[in-house]
Amino acid sequence: MAILGGATGAAPPAPPVKAMRRASVARRIAAAGWAHESRIWKIGGWVAASVPLGSLVFILVVLGHKAWPSVVVNGTHFFTGSAWKPGSTYGTTVHTHGFAHPAGSSYGAWPLIAGTLQTSIIAVVLAVPISLGAAFALTERLPGWLSRPLAFAVEILAGIPSVIIGLWGVLTLGPFLAQDVYPVIADHMPDVPVLSYFRNPVGHGEGLLTTGLVLGLMIIPIITATTRDLFLQVPPLPKEGGLALGMTDAEVARRVTLPWVRSGIIGATVLGLGRALGETMAVAMISGAALNTISPNIFGTMGTIAAAIVTQLDSSFTDGTGFATSALAEAAVVLVAITILANALARVVIARSARHGMPVGRGG
Amino acid sequence: MSAGPEGVSTERGITTPVVGAVDPILDAIDPDRGRPPHVMETRDLTLGFGAKAILSGVTAPFARGTITALIGPTGSGKTTFLRTLNRMNDKVRGFRREGSVLLDGESIWSTEQDLFTLRRRVGMLFQRPNPFPMSIRDNVVAGVRAHRIAKGKQLDVVAEQRLLEVGLWDAVKDRLGDSPFQLSGGQQQLLCLARALAIGPEVLLLDEPTSALDPVSTEFVEHLLLQMTPALSMVVVTHNLGQARRISHQTMFLYDGNLVEHGPTAQVFEHPVHTHTERYVTGRMG
Ligand SMILES: Nc1ncnc2c1ncn2[C@@H]1O[C@H](COP(=O)(O)OP(=O)(O)O)[C@@H](O)[C@H]1O
Ligand SMILES: [Mg+2]
Repeated sequence: MAILGGATGAAPPAPPVKAMRRASVARRIAAAGWAHESRIWKIGGWVAASVPLGSLVFILVVLGHKAWPSVVVNGTHFFTGSAWKPGSTYGTTVHTHGFAHPAGSSYGAWPLIAGTLQTSIIAVVLAVPISLGAAFALTERLPGWLSRPLAFAVEILAGIPSVIIGLWGVLTLGPFLAQDVYPVIADHMPDVPVLSYFRNPVGHGEGLLTTGLVLGLMIIPIITATTRDLFLQVPPLPKEGGLALGMTDAEVARRVTLPWVRSGIIGATVLGLGRALGETMAVAMISGAALNTISPNIFGTMGTIAAAIVTQLDSSFTDGTGFATSALAEAAVVLVAITILANALARVVIARSARHGMPVGRGG
Repeated sequence: MSAGPEGVSTERGITTPVVGAVDPILDAIDPDRGRPPHVMETRDLTLGFGAKAILSGVTAPFARGTITALIGPTGSGKTTFLRTLNRMNDKVRGFRREGSVLLDGESIWSTEQDLFTLRRRVGMLFQRPNPFPMSIRDNVVAGVRAHRIAKGKQLDVVAEQRLLEVGLWDAVKDRLGDSPFQLSGGQQQLLCLARALAIGPEVLLLDEPTSALDPVSTEFVEHLLLQMTPALSMVVVTHNLGQARRISHQTMFLYDGNLVEHGPTAQVFEHPVHTHTERYVTGRMG
């Protein structure tokens, strides 16, 4: 009640110093410990927060260092050239700009860069609509007793090792497509620009389209699971508002639910794209693992950066100058750069839609 | 229908006594001429969720061109009742109903009625503003687009007209392309009202439309609602008894699973028939 006394203007009397109980030893230790502890938390927080950025920088620095001979010797030819030539690793060694490399060796990664982009684009174009549809069905259409186990299955599917999917792709899916599906498409395509890309020959099931399809299947679970979580966050009231206005479920999905989580969906797409760009084992098994070929049609064999790295690493060690390994490191840097570029692009797109101040992805 | 012009005129006379209800010429051009006097009507409507009974045997006519206030303690089923009138409950888990709801004499569940047309005719304004994640202009015309009432340049005209109607035009005319989420709560609710009005409903269902708004916005919305009669019929759920008295022509009192009292607002508040009603309107019930 001394507080009330203060309110009337009379200052409350200060408690006599001797009467103040000194804090117990235990409390003082605890207090000191708390101060210490909060410092530990602070430092720990900084360390933990810098691990992702730190490792990215570290990886890039190490890769860049390894790649440097290839960068200097191959120059822009690395991006425009179409031949991956290790030269004669047991022959003479020559020097270019001070870097030793086998005579006749030069590396052009254009087919690999193109193949990486082609397969990933096919995968994303295929996976995004299917994933959105699946997520919509899981959250809005199917009854709980069905959607819960299905959602669980989707998450299991996302965790299946890619080598298993690759094996299935090369043993089962590829041959099936090449025998029963691709000919139907290829035989009926008119020989006009763009569509002629889908004409014969269809090959044996290893190649661009099969790889794109399998990559699509691999990223559908990721995008579906992420999108499903996003849809679940959309508040019911705006959706009900749409229904009350006489919109159909599909219109509500397209005009209300989807825009509400637009940035999240772009994020999920980039997540899937990242996986497709970097997928290694399955692509190495299904693409035909070519090094120098850009497929003339959508069915032909080809290669990607990731697949080339895993298939060429072993033989690159036979190059005593380290130049072959350096070229693989440069290819790796390019792959990282493509991934970063895709993420940056997504940020730009998100920022553009966020200019309208929509509660996109923030759940509102 | 059996209801003659007199019936219509009598009902409409409640709101607009100045309109010569007996003027034969006006009567002849009345667009509602020959329609049932009750724009909507529930007959022996019993509602529940699973085993739980919410309302039983509600028979209530809603006079065309008037505002009906729906009052009652929290949990008395006001929202459930209101949402049944445009079939928003149909897909809710466990929802069950018996009895009927008529719109212009025809059951809203009849196979002749298509759900989307029903909701175009019976619109809804919610307890909290619920703009869509699109520009202010696109919000206003969202329903117009869905029902393909207008397109292209016409949409701009519709948007302007409806925003003018709800008094929001001056505040937003320079930022029609902006997000609606920057607007104040009151402005957002007006935007939702404009959106609901844009598809030209005959009945508007309002569930505590001002409970999230400040007093000034509340007064403004009440004024608007009154102005919209008799072109529009309204059912307004409200916890604000003063609001019920200010804007409604009829009042329904729901209590303990029943429609306890239903009559002209003045009568329900001044001379309630039931003791429960009296206790509620005098503030002596929770
Ligand atoms: N979807 C639902 N499932 C089960 N019970 C519900 C549901 N919606 C409302 N109820 C119950 O119905 C009763 C009436 O709710 P409501 O119509 O919202 O009342 P009011 O709007 O008058 O406050 C409440 O007891 C509420 O718990
Ligand atoms: Mg309610």
